[in-house]
Amino acid sequence: MDWSMLADPNILTVLVLQGLVRGAMYALMGIGLSLIFGILGVVNFAHGELFMLGSYVMYLVVGIFGMPFYLGIVAAAGVVFVCGVAIERGLVEQLRRRAGRDWISDSFVLTIGLAVVLQNLAHLAFGSRQYGVAELVAGSVPVGELEISLERLAIFGLACLAVLLLWAFMKFARTGRAIRAAAQNAEAAETLGIDVRNLFTVTFGLGAAFAGVAGALLISIYPASPTVGAEPLLKSFAVVVLGGLGNVSGAIAAGLLLGVLEAFTIFIAADGWQNVLTAYLVILVLLVRPAGLFVLGGKRA
Amino acid sequence: MFLEVNDVVAGYTKEVSILNGVQFAAEEGKVTVILGPNGAGKSTLLRTVYGYLKPRRGEVRFRGELLNGRRPSEMLRHGIAYLLQGHSVFPSMSVEENLELGAWIFGKDRQARARAIEDAYDHFPRLREKRRGAAGLLSGGEQRALEIARLVMTSPKLLLLDEPSVGLMPKLVDSVYEEIARLKDRKMTVVMVDQNVKKAVAIADQVYVLKLGANSYDGPQADFLLRMDEIVKGWL
Repeated sequence: MDWSMLADPNILTVLVLQGLVRGAMYALMGIGLSLIFGILGVVNFAHGELFMLGSYVMYLVVGIFGMPFYLGIVAAAGVVFVCGVAIERGLVEQLRRRAGRDWISDSFVLTIGLAVVLQNLAHLAFGSRQYGVAELVAGSVPVGELEISLERLAIFGLACLAVLLLWAFMKFARTGRAIRAAAQNAEAAETLGIDVRNLFTVTFGLGAAFAGVAGALLISIYPASPTVGAEPLLKSFAVVVLGGLGNVSGAIAAGLLLGVLEAFTIFIAADGWQNVLTAYLVILVLLVRPAGLFVLGGKRA
Repeated sequence: MFLEVNDVVAGYTKEVSILNGVQFAAEEGKVTVILGPNGAGKSTLLRTVYGYLKPRRGEVRFRGELLNGRRPSEMLRHGIAYLLQGHSVFPSMSVEENLELGAWIFGKDRQARARAIEDAYDHFPRLREKRRGAAGLLSGGEQRALEIARLVMTSPKLLLLDEPSVGLMPKLVDSVYEEIARLKDRKMTVVMVDQNVKKAVAIADQVYVLKLGANSYDGPQADFLLRMDEIVKGWL
């Protein structure tokens, strides 16, 4: 390893850009997981399978029907949103009504089971083959003597757009404001006439849609397959631990940070070592700042 | 009767009942206070009226209409407001956002929402000064003012208050009771659970005492004051 390469501004730029693209995916996954945990208290172990659903939808819309890629992303968001709503109403809500006070720990088993079911359904429907889309956007931009593909930049840009839309929804929309209120004090929200049950459903759908968008955006890097969600799930857990469980802006910051760190690790060490670094970071943060890197005081992860 | 609780049995788990056949009524335009030692089921009674708990037996009626089985989020639209025990502002949202949420049931009616918020500011000028600040940074008394403002901005008919003065600085306690007495002037019916016997009874018209989830006493304020020592003896 020639360390002087790290002093080259072109290499640095490419690494940071690659890291941000990687980080944008982690952020999208982490946001979804954090939203669902923050409002419902459910840790969604099937989050990777929602990513998987998004990537299959993208494959069908773009790879099979030959539609433009942005339609694929919109379709993935829509389909996975509906799946999220169905999962919340059909399974999570039923469990909450029946299981009484212990329903949170029961929900772990529910979402783990759901992950297994969804993986096997995908296997039945599509087999174990990987289905990808070659390139969403052709071309590349020069960075000195190096270059970065336009596709990567498009992925980053679209991820940022998704985050911006979520922010605007939470800040300005009535439902978004109610979701924030319910996250802070669900009982108080109910006394103001807000139907928290419906908010739970919308939030689960939104969180799911974010995983679906991540799956769709990354199809050229992670082709659709029944188990494609495993790695994104693992990374999204790392992101929510680093950012603080249930903390959406923390998930964004932690996602981008993790992406950049990993890009550098792959460059300096070798592909594979980024996972070791992530695991170490998670352990370190749990030991030193268990509430998350970006939380002042706050709840423990 | 305005609010009527008939022979209600309710509890948090299947095995244990907290309320064992409670009988309760509140008259329109009056302040009714519910007293009793810890664990008597006072808060549980309010929670049952508001739909957080389903009665296993008996019925809750509001202006003759059966409330059993209704959900808490429907209550404000029926004209019943509930002040939760402890602080219940949304701490990281601004004062104005808290009030916006207080006007939630006005739905898309922008004018009604704006008018209700203006009224709240007129009533509590301190809140107007701090409208952009986070509600969690207000003092304890200001937070309570915001909670009361948020509660009455839709002009509910019946207010259920769960220990409105608990956790406040002594000098603020009086102002909370003054505020409640003023609500009475605004033709609101108040049902209040309280540990602060003297101050609560001072603004009460009717007093109920619960013990171990059952009725132990009820009577008008004057009668309670006469027999207070005898009734309160043995609580502590």
